[in-house]
Amino acid sequence: MDRKKLTQFHVELSLQPTLSSTVFSSLLAIILAFACGGVIFLFYHISPGVGYQTFFRGSLGSWYAFSETLKRTIPLLLVGEGLSLAFRAQVLNIGAEGQILLGAVAATWVALFSGLPSFLLLPAMFILGFLAGAGWALIPAIFKTRFAVNEVLSTLMLNYVAFNLVLYLIAGPWKGKGVRGFTYTDTFPEAAWLKTMGITRVPYFTLLVGIALAIGGYFFLKKSALGFELRIVGSSPETARFLGINEEKIILFTMFLSGGLSGFAGVGEVAGIHHLLRHPDHISLGYGYTAIIVAWLARANPLAVILTSFLFGALLSGGDALRVSLGIPFQVVSVFNGLILFFLISTEHLSRYRIIWRDKKEVEKNGS
Amino acid sequence: MNKRVVLVMVILCSFLLGGVAFSQEAKLKAGFIYVGPIGDLGWSHAHEQARQVLEETYPWLDTIYVEAVPEGEVEGIIDRLVNQEKVDVVVTTSFGFMDGTVNAAKRYPDKIFFHCSGFKRAPNLATYMADFHQVYYLNGIMAGALTKSGKIGYVGTFPTPELKRHINAFTLGVRRVNPQAEVNVRWLQSAWYDPQGAKEAAEALVAEGVDVLAFTEDSASVVQVAEEKGLPSFGHYSPMLSYAPNHLVSGQLVHWEAIYLDFFAKVYAGLYTNQNLDNLDYWWLLNDGAVELGADFGVPINPVYEETLKSYMVDDPVYGNISVYDLVFKLEAAMADPEYAFSPFTGPIKDRQGNIRVPSSVRLSLEDLITMEWAVEGVAGPWPGEPE
Repeated sequence: MDRKKLTQFHVELSLQPTLSSTVFSSLLAIILAFACGGVIFLFYHISPGVGYQTFFRGSLGSWYAFSETLKRTIPLLLVGEGLSLAFRAQVLNIGAEGQILLGAVAATWVALFSGLPSFLLLPAMFILGFLAGAGWALIPAIFKTRFAVNEVLSTLMLNYVAFNLVLYLIAGPWKGKGVRGFTYTDTFPEAAWLKTMGITRVPYFTLLVGIALAIGGYFFLKKSALGFELRIVGSSPETARFLGINEEKIILFTMFLSGGLSGFAGVGEVAGIHHLLRHPDHISLGYGYTAIIVAWLARANPLAVILTSFLFGALLSGGDALRVSLGIPFQVVSVFNGLILFFLISTEHLSRYRIIWRDKKEVEKNGS
Repeated sequence: MNKRVVLVMVILCSFLLGGVAFSQEAKLKAGFIYVGPIGDLGWSHAHEQARQVLEETYPWLDTIYVEAVPEGEVEGIIDRLVNQEKVDVVVTTSFGFMDGTVNAAKRYPDKIFFHCSGFKRAPNLATYMADFHQVYYLNGIMAGALTKSGKIGYVGTFPTPELKRHINAFTLGVRRVNPQAEVNVRWLQSAWYDPQGAKEAAEALVAEGVDVLAFTEDSASVVQVAEEKGLPSFGHYSPMLSYAPNHLVSGQLVHWEAIYLDFFAKVYAGLYTNQNLDNLDYWWLLNDGAVELGADFGVPINPVYEETLKSYMVDDPVYGNISVYDLVFKLEAAMADPEYAFSPFTGPIKDRQGNIRVPSSVRLSLEDLITMEWAVEGVAGPWPGEPE
């Protein structure tokens, strides 16, 4: 009796994390990561207040800062959408980085060597870029369905193959004539450049596609038969087998889609920002890996990916502001990303617990 | 006639006003953008050293820097430097920043831009380069004297005209004192900073029988391999003597600050404005103090190798019977002469297919130097982009 008087809430383990517990644990992870980030500021003799102020002003504080955040959000959104569907089916595609590069390669071929008329360039770049990324992802997908090869390893390894393919192309057959022997292709014709919003460098086409995909993906999972099958395969393979769901079909489909969207994002990067093919490290900036965290943080929910990709877009552009204004080394931004992922994984456990607040009256009644 | 006088007056006044405007403001502010981390031993590190000299020397100049900027992001970083940090001058230090810098120069016509190693200029965008070809020539002379097998190894990153020019100059130096020797080239084609790749390439060259090593890559890997195998080597970009105290003969050292000090003084004085940089291209060499021959600053030749080089006598077409040691300093003095008394690329020079590339007593022009694709006689190994 006495103990009950003291406790006004108790904690309950639930198998399915609720929305509020997920949001709570995610927020907690981000807050803890930022708190640790504050310690990093102190190491550089910068007051955390100034650090955070610079960070937020540089990522959201002005139209310009906001546009830089959007620019970084787009590839994360596109790739993150595809990955969230794959992760929902428990298909662990870690190869988005390579699939982005393949999209960029296909787009470069169309822009420089296909000889298509100008008005067809951009559509062809996006279609072929999607197919190139999808095709690249189908390789490990087929290995998985046919030979039960673990897709985490095979997709990851193919990233290095894609990386070296780009290196080979820019140093060899596709090396530009107007680049003085440096390893770049020539610049795309202007018809192959994506339009950007006003004076910013945000290509709005890919942004709109990303948002449309998020909404479409949400309803696809909720309402369609295929979406239902996909969720069952992900949450309970046994049930899926019992229901006669074709698991192979789901694996091939999710890999095709997530690879394709990564390829699509790669087209957006070369057509919207670079306008040529250059060293692979400078094309993707690790978007393929960051998008894994984006999809994870969104708990593989397509709508939530809008939020999480924007969060990481802000993190990247805020990181730029820290580097420019406070001279913080570039590695620290990666440390920030790492911290967030670290705390997310550690608080994942927490989201399975539910806090039950007891009614005050009830407590009093019991106590009397 | 009158119109012309008025025009000149207007231009002069604008120069003066420009100068006054800057000196009335307390300080000039410049932002430096590096492609690599400042912790490497090469390109970005050298620019950062020069920025620090600049900051210490000019009390009226504030500088900030941003390291490891991806090439596609340079415009966004310039935007931040201009809008948030209110810089007056932006310095971009990688070839890959060229188009981004050109775009930014259009967008901010009242700011001044300074781009390293590019070839596109604008009224408010100048270019600059400190070139090593003379220093490589001197290194080559020493390498030619030190090789016993007649095979010298060279590790290169990318086959750009810059590297081809440098390897050619190096080989011309080798052949001046050792006409039978050849330079075996290996290309990494991976990155400007690739310590592992450079190490493997250097080891492969040693396995093929080379007994002297030179290179172009942003780490000390090749020098470390030389120390391990006990072979003479030549450092690149930074003082690398400490990595191979007994096996680093000499090397190429850069003084970007020479160019920066000159440029910023003239910007501050109002001589360089956002209107008159169209044709401003610094191409600075030994006589400008932008590059230095040495294993370390002030150590042109490692004392360990002094005896060997002093006792290696050659019959030089110009200087007669002379030790290689003395020849190096004679030629250095000739190249550092303000009259530019000697250029390594003075004809007759044949390419390795036997075509005359530089006719007798002709000196290659700057344009020929910066677009060089051919290989001189004595270069062995692959040469991507070699003309037929």
